[in-house]
Amino acid sequence: MQTSIGGIARSHIVGQRITPNSSIAHVRLTHKPCKSAAVASAVQTTPEDKWLARTVKEVATPPSLAALRQQSNSAIATLRMPSTRNEEYRFTDITPLLRTNVEPAPAHAEVPASLLARHTLPGAAVVAVVVDGALRPELSSGLGPQAGGAYVGPLEGAPAALQAKLGSLSSSRGGPFAVLNGSMAPGALAVAVPQGVALPGPVYVLHVSSGSSSADSATLAAPRVLLHAGPGAEAELVEEYVGVGAPSADNGSASAPAAGRAVTVSVSELFLEEDSRVKHSYVQRESAGSFHFKGTLVSQGARSAYTVVESSTGADIARHDLSILQDGPETSTEMSHFLLCGPSQLHDLHSRLTLDHPRGTANQLHKCIVSHSSGKGVFDGNVKVNRAAQQSDAGQLSRNLLLVPLATVNVKPNLQAGGIVADDVKCTHGCAVSDLRDDELFYFRARGISAESARQALVFSFGSEVVQRMRHPALQQRVQEDVSRTLRSVDQFAAAAAAAAQ
Amino acid sequence: MLEVKDLEAKIASTGQPILKGVNLTVRNGEVHAIMGKNGSGKSTLSKVLVGHPDYEVTGGTAVFKGKNLFEMEPEERSHAGLFLSFQTPIEVPGVSNVDFLRMACNARRKSLGQSELDPLEFYAYIMPKLEMLNMDPTFLNRNVNEGFSGGEKKRNEILQLAVLEADMAILDEIDSGLDIDALRDVAKAVNQLKSEETGVLMVTHYKRLLDYIKPDFVHIMQSGEIVKTGDMGLVDQLEAGGYSTLEQTHDE
Repeated sequence: MQTSIGGIARSHIVGQRITPNSSIAHVRLTHKPCKSAAVASAVQTTPEDKWLARTVKEVATPPSLAALRQQSNSAIATLRMPSTRNEEYRFTDITPLLRTNVEPAPAHAEVPASLLARHTLPGAAVVAVVVDGALRPELSSGLGPQAGGAYVGPLEGAPAALQAKLGSLSSSRGGPFAVLNGSMAPGALAVAVPQGVALPGPVYVLHVSSGSSSADSATLAAPRVLLHAGPGAEAELVEEYVGVGAPSADNGSASAPAAGRAVTVSVSELFLEEDSRVKHSYVQRESAGSFHFKGTLVSQGARSAYTVVESSTGADIARHDLSILQDGPETSTEMSHFLLCGPSQLHDLHSRLTLDHPRGTANQLHKCIVSHSSGKGVFDGNVKVNRAAQQSDAGQLSRNLLLVPLATVNVKPNLQAGGIVADDVKCTHGCAVSDLRDDELFYFRARGISAESARQALVFSFGSEVVQRMRHPALQQRVQEDVSRTLRSVDQFAAAAAAAAQ
Repeated sequence: MLEVKDLEAKIASTGQPILKGVNLTVRNGEVHAIMGKNGSGKSTLSKVLVGHPDYEVTGGTAVFKGKNLFEMEPEERSHAGLFLSFQTPIEVPGVSNVDFLRMACNARRKSLGQSELDPLEFYAYIMPKLEMLNMDPTFLNRNVNEGFSGGEKKRNEILQLAVLEADMAILDEIDSGLDIDALRDVAKAVNQLKSEETGVLMVTHYKRLLDYIKPDFVHIMQSGEIVKTGDMGLVDQLEAGGYSTLEQTHDE
């Protein structure tokens, strides 16, 4: 379903279990850093929020993070963790996290060699292994100065101008978890690509959560990435998040919580100067029982191109807050997302894209499968075309597959074109919460493939359309293994999943 | 091979009648062509025969190799050897062409009691067919029809026909959107695939295709009925004077 709307496209709500935008009381969250001296001196005071008071611990602060730390600590004093009364968290209940005992991860946790061997990215120029939020040079390769004056490594070694940018996007547009990251991040990984330079291959960042050794607690990791692409520069960033614990939807995880649970609170800030191109892949495959909160904040200069491809199959509760600002004319943004919600999994994508300048283009494809009655998908995709963004072209499509009764999605794709003359802006959006496309099914059947087999093939490959856009067969294969494992828990697909795994 | 009698069908969603009593018999080894204006029911006839869910049969019969088609599921019709080359094949993102073709091939083999082909065996099976159609093997690794040009989609349909080794091929505007080279490749493949044991039913607007694949019978369809049947001479008459001259003939 794709409808073409000329002119003012009002927010359009389609889906299940959605109540219209009623005028319920909004509990506004304050996460702006307070600059007053009184509160700034309160760095040592305990946060008001009980969970934060238990969770936030003193973390060693490298000089490059000092300003961010101070800002975040002052903000965290008065920060309250969101509840479902917050509009932004209306469908995302983080109570299970707030009931969890969160402890700092032990320093220098050991990572099984087999895990590192399983997670490779052929063609990567740099492999940065980040364990529990801390960059581990001894497990990484290719860190340091790169050809053409580029740099990938700890923020300390990056140009001072880049160091100064740390936190500039997250402090204004990040949510509560971005503030928590600012308080707890042990360091930041910097990727700096100067004017006109193209990195010879992707920067592959493998984030590993070591997880807690006991079942009734989880360890906290707060990794941080800062990327700067100078004018005309080209870079590719691949972020993959995995845990040492058992993968999601593994047999047995449904019964009792196992050891190896982790809480990841990650922030990535990406600055794209004019004419630069950045390709970003984000693969979330955390262990069962884990919590994953990711903030991606992007600022795009004139004529820059940003492409993000996301796949989220792991963790119990995972949320991605993606915020992109087109800060110059003729800017292009491509977003693709695939979320799979198996037993007890909640996957949430909140994306905000603002087109503020003429002739910008934006495209978003969101695909979500909910394969279990206890699974839930949430999507709030806001594309805002501002008055100045004449001759823009924005498209948004959300397709949601509910494989079993009681599976839930709360989807709110909304494309807003504010006050623009009708023929200047092209906006299309569509949303489907349903089954597979009839014409696809019929095409299979007309070729002799039974409706049952056709359904299986189409469901198994539903996310491939998105994941293929990463153009990394190794990543695609790992995601597909997750998909097969999760779909195996659906009775109707058990046989097919077993066959596909062979 | 195929015997259609007094076939009537309507659009399932709107109830609009499209086919109003179609009669058509295709015997082994015969090539038939159906021509007619847009909206005359040509494409509907081909879709109804393979069981497209958009249409509902309201009367008449269709017997294929002695079996009542309308009692069979679409996949059973395919297993029995009936094939439709779609006018506008859909794109299936995420499913690779080779997987799709192998699934289809093995579904038919299974129904015929033959062993299924593993990926290696299937490559050996499909390579000569790719050559016959002048198709690049990289074609196999792309997603089904995704980003294919019009010509590539049509070649892909004929490749499926070749893979399924169907006995009765319905080709719905297989010539539309093809340049002359592609048309020649497609026609050549169809000519190689047909035999004394197979039937072909082509739906087309243009004589061009019929110069490459010679029909034994030409039918003119109008308002949901076959109003005239003849040979290539009918096509020449059509080229000369358009459908109006035929209408007069019909009225006489």
